[in-house]
This record gives sequence, structure tokens and C-alpha cells, in this order.
Amino acid sequence: MTGLVSFELSGARRGRTAWVFAAAFAAASLTIAVVGLAAGGVITVQGFARTSVSLLQLVLWVVPLAALLLGAVAGAECHDLEFLAGLPVPRQRIVLARWAAWFITLAAALLVGLGAAGVVVGLAAGGADAPRYLALLVVALLVLAASLALGLWLGVAARSRVRAIALAVVTWFVLAVGVDLAAIAVLALLPPGPSGWGLSLLLLADPVDGARALGLGLFQADVVAGPTGAALRRVLGGWGAVVLVAGLGLWTAVPLALAGRRYAGRDL
Amino acid sequence: MIELDRLSKSFGGRAALADLSARVAPGEVVALVGPNGAGKSTALRILAGILRPDRGSARIAGHDIVRESLEARKHLAYLPQRLGVPASTVLWDLALLVCRVRGLPLEAAETALESAGLLPRAGASLGELSGGQRQRAMLALATMGRVDALLLDEPSINLDAEGSEEVRATIREARDRGVAVLFASHHLYDVAALADRIVVLVDGRAVVQGALPDLARAAGVPWTEASAEAPIERIYRVLVARGRAGAAELRLIRGDAA
Repeated sequence: MTGLVSFELSGARRGRTAWVFAAAFAAASLTIAVVGLAAGGVITVQGFARTSVSLLQLVLWVVPLAALLLGAVAGAECHDLEFLAGLPVPRQRIVLARWAAWFITLAAALLVGLGAAGVVVGLAAGGADAPRYLALLVVALLVLAASLALGLWLGVAARSRVRAIALAVVTWFVLAVGVDLAAIAVLALLPPGPSGWGLSLLLLADPVDGARALGLGLFQADVVAGPTGAALRRVLGGWGAVVLVAGLGLWTAVPLALAGRRYAGRDL
Repeated sequence: MIELDRLSKSFGGRAALADLSARVAPGEVVALVGPNGAGKSTALRILAGILRPDRGSARIAGHDIVRESLEARKHLAYLPQRLGVPASTVLWDLALLVCRVRGLPLEAAETALESAGLLPRAGASLGELSGGQRQRAMLALATMGRVDALLLDEPSINLDAEGSEEVRATIREARDRGVAVLFASHHLYDVAALADRIVVLVDGRAVVQGALPDLARAAGVPWTEASAEAPIERIYRVLVARGRAGAAELRLIRGDAA
């Protein structure tokens, strides 16, 4: 397995994707950290607490999109690996190695991007609330793992790159926007009263929404956690974060298992 | 040992391979010939575990290719017609992977690339190599380590005369080591020079299989050992034409062929 991962890792590392991702993330993070207070008439560097909350939204839009797209392409490419599939390795391991290699590469890029911004924020605004920034990194890595696995599954199922990319974009739209719209619609339609369980389930059914609730919970930004986050805390109390992390873990493990199963059971 | 027993495969209702039975003994070289779409690559891809057969079975060194797929693949080396890895793959990375997967020492990677004359280009990606270099590299990597069966799909494609001779040498060397070799080729010269037996496939069916003199007799073409290459094209044309016409009496079973 390590041989396959290092082989895939060297392929993922050679491309420009990771560097572009790291540079774009560093630039966006710094911009948010610096200009976040510009509306108040002052241009200065925000502290970790405000920067973390501001960056969470960026992480939840950009990381799933990039990971879904890259995962989908990597999954579709699995069908071109006839030489590797002829070697004595279980096909599931080829899928797993692809996921691991892209996760390591993109995680490193995320850490470089967010880390560069973190250094600037730390130097300019002090180290107070730095743990919140670390929590942001953890949330970003969890949503990266889940989105990449989901993209890989879509790619393996779609077979062609074009179809895989189209599926990834639609999935991203549903997860980043569609589920929120559905939640708002459900809340508008339901009679006033407890709808906590339904909303909590919705959080587990959408890794992006789950990551958002997890991030805001970890930042203790209760007032902006939204109706689903508030419902989750009411239903699950202190276990909410644990359930959300487990949910994101499942969002990683299940698509990976499905992708491996599908790849192993089909003709190339 | 490579054994195929009534192997069949269809794509979208069209039979790509129908009831192919054959046997390649250790130290034997068998060629699959036939026009495009005859089922040569399909047969090799099924044996390599890339495709699953609809019916029939096959074994590599006694291991069923479906039920014991991993074990079967431990005993075979497969060179696909297409590259089979991303063109951006660095040659040395691929060589290291084959070493690790096959449990070979890392020196084996160096030896394989050196034997293909590509050690100085080990840092290049496959896309940066010429077609001939790429084919030589992939053949060298596919045949690393000790295997019992060698499956080659158009091994001489993209190669010049010198490269083709290297491929023939590789196949002879494998045969001398007792490896069962099954290869598909449009290069009838390679077929005449290497194959102990030939399977002629037309529209997924084996219309004839046997040694070259038997095929010549079946085709009604005079044949002498001294000029084996000359009449093979004529033999091939006659057999394929008759196969297309559905001449069932052409089926010729000889030696170990099922």
C-alpha cells in the first residue's frame, strides 16, 4: 500500500494544482484577514477569532469544490490504469492510494495557504484565540477528506472525465447551497414547534453543512451558527461536535468503500 | 500455464469473444492473430483481470482469473496495448512501484531500465519518451521478476526494426525460462518467427488454431520451413476470409489446444 501511495503521491505532487491551491488560499486568507474590518473605516489585520469565522465560509465554499473536482477527475482516470490493474494489487487499493495521495497533497497545500495567513495574523494581531484558527484547520481537513472521497466515487462511477466533472459541480451546488435552501423551505413550511431532530439529521446528510456547524461550534460563535446549528446543540448537547466529526468520518469512509467496490467489480 | 475454457465476452449485445478455448504450456509461445475487432485484446484483457468474462473460465498457473484474481496476477505479466498509466508518470517511479508490488529488490528497477537502454532517461515522464522508447520501457517493466505467464498485446507496436528484434529476444528469453507466452500481433513476421502455435480469431471466434504448417495445410498454401515468413500473409488472408464466410471445417485442433 505504501508503494502505491508514494507512486500516486509523486504524480499528484508533480502537477501545478497543489501549488496553485496553496497560493490561492494564502492570498484569499490574507485578504480576508486584512480587509475584513475595512467596512468599519479601518484597514488592519483581524485577530484569530474574527479571521477564523471569516475564513470558515471561504473554506466551506472552495475546499469542497476543489476536492470534488480533483477527486472526480482522479476517479475517472482510474479506468485508464490498465497497467496498474494488471499488477498483483487489489483494485480497491488503487482507489484508496489515489485518495490518500490527493488528500496528503491538498492538505499540505491547505496548511501552507492557511499557515501563511496564520503567521501574518499572529505577528500583526497577537496570538490570542490561536486555538480557534487551529480548529478551522481541522474543519478544513475533515471537509477536504469527505469531499475528496465523494468526488472519487463520482469519478469512478461516471467513468468519463467530462461526466465526472459535471457530476462534481452539481454535487457541490447541492451540498453548498441546495441543502441550505431545502432547510429554509422546510422551516418555512413546518408549523412552529420543535424541528430539532429533522434539522440535526440534515446536518449529517450534508458534509458541508455539518462542517459549518462543527466550525462555528468550535469557534463558540453561537450567534451565527444558524438554525441547524442551534437545533443540533439543543438535540445533542455537548456531543454535537463528536457526532459531526463522526458524520464527516462516515462521509469519507462510505464513498471510499463504494468507489473501491465499484472499481473492483467492473470492467476497465 | 495459461488455460482458457470456452471464454466468452459481449459488449452491448455484440459478441467480442465466443467460446475461446486454448492452452499455453510452460515454455510455449502462442500468437493470437486476426483483423481489428477479432477479440485478441479482449482475450488478453480477460486473462489479465481487466475484464470479467460473461461465460467460461480461465486459469493462470492453476489459479482461476476471477475467483483467485490476485493470486493469478502474481503469476502473470501483462503489457496492454494502451499505455495503461498516466503519460505524466515518471519512468523511475513506475519502476519502483513494480519492484515494490512484486517484492523485488530496488536494483531490479535499475537493471530493467538498463536492459531497455533507458536508465539515463529514468527521470523522464512517459509522455516525454518517443513511442518506441515508451514501448521498450513498458515491456521491460512488465517483464520484471519471475512470472509463469506473459501476456503481450501488440508488443511491437510503434517499434522500428531494432526495437522489434528486442521484443522478439525478450519473448524468446521468457520462453527459454519456461514462461508460457500468449501475444496478440498484427506483425505476421513476429508471429511466424516466434509462435509455436497460432490462434486465428475472426469476429470473436477461433476459426483455426495450430502450428504454422498445419495452418498452411488448412489454407491450402504450400509451406516450407525455410521460408516460413513468406507465405504467412497468404495463409492468414485465406483463413480470415474463410472464417468470415463461416467455414466451420477449418477448425483445427492440434497438440495441447482444447
